[in-house]
Amino acid sequence: MPQDVLIVDDSATIRQMVKKTMAIAGLDVGKIHEAANGIEALARLNDHTVAVMLVDINMPTMNGIQLLTRMKENDRLKDIPIVIVSTEGSKERIEQLESIGAFGYVRKPFQPEQLRDVLKPLLGVRDNGSTENSNTDDDLF
Amino acid sequence: MEVQKTATLTTIFSEVLANLAFMFTDEETAEPSAGDLWLETTIRYDGTTKGTLAFRCTREFSILLAANLLGIDPRDIHAESQADDAVKEFMNIVCGQFVTASYGSNDVFNLSIPKIRELPETPDFSQDDGITTSTLSADDHRVQLAHETIDDDAP
Repeated sequence: MPQDVLIVDDSATIRQMVKKTMAIAGLDVGKIHEAANGIEALARLNDHTVAVMLVDINMPTMNGIQLLTRMKENDRLKDIPIVIVSTEGSKERIEQLESIGAFGYVRKPFQPEQLRDVLKPLLGVRDNGSTENSNTDDDLF
Repeated sequence: MEVQKTATLTTIFSEVLANLAFMFTDEETAEPSAGDLWLETTIRYDGTTKGTLAFRCTREFSILLAANLLGIDPRDIHAESQADDAVKEFMNIVCGQFVTASYGSNDVFNLSIPKIRELPETPDFSQDDGITTSTLSADDHRVQLAHETIDDDAP
């Protein structure tokens, strides 16, 4: 059954591009919710259940690291897998994200297959119906 | 040093533009049209070194960029409404790639939220020195890139 996704990015353009890329990648996605920052994301999570979140780091009001940290402190939200989608290229920052519980990391600009590889274990794909997890956690960073 | 940084910036700009928007750059610069509205997008990076990137383009180019990023016709109303957002996000990506290419991936850099403003007049391309600024043509639109390193110890 297709599962819902939450995209958190202050750029409406990127949110739109991520949605299109997920469609191109053939991911089996249900409803796609959107938020422009961490505060909006937490509000969406009050009303909706999602299988995975795609989160930018550099956002106003509450950035992606603050959101991730806040969610890990919340029993209801701590198990939602969070994939960071960011321009960030620093090894130290990526290790920090991994240590505070990010599920995976995709660097902008990204190709459809990069998004598919990191989301496939969580959502499955439409083209062959496979939900087999071919990646280890380490592969996702 | 600054010459190298500007060359790096120009290369990264061209690569991101091609990969993300399927638009291509050329060193031969298209002539700007009189009456064009010009925009300047700036973003600051802050880490072991600090600096600012600026990108100047026409409103028409920003709409074209948004259309290409979104995969829609430039005449689509969404291309115009998302033009500012598209250029800001584009420069966010360029800046992220630029700091990694220039300073490596061992240091952490924080990027500012990009800002965009309308310029009161056409940029002065005669000041283009190839050191801090570089002018090129992107899909037949003249655009200008600038890089400035910020020295906090400067008087």
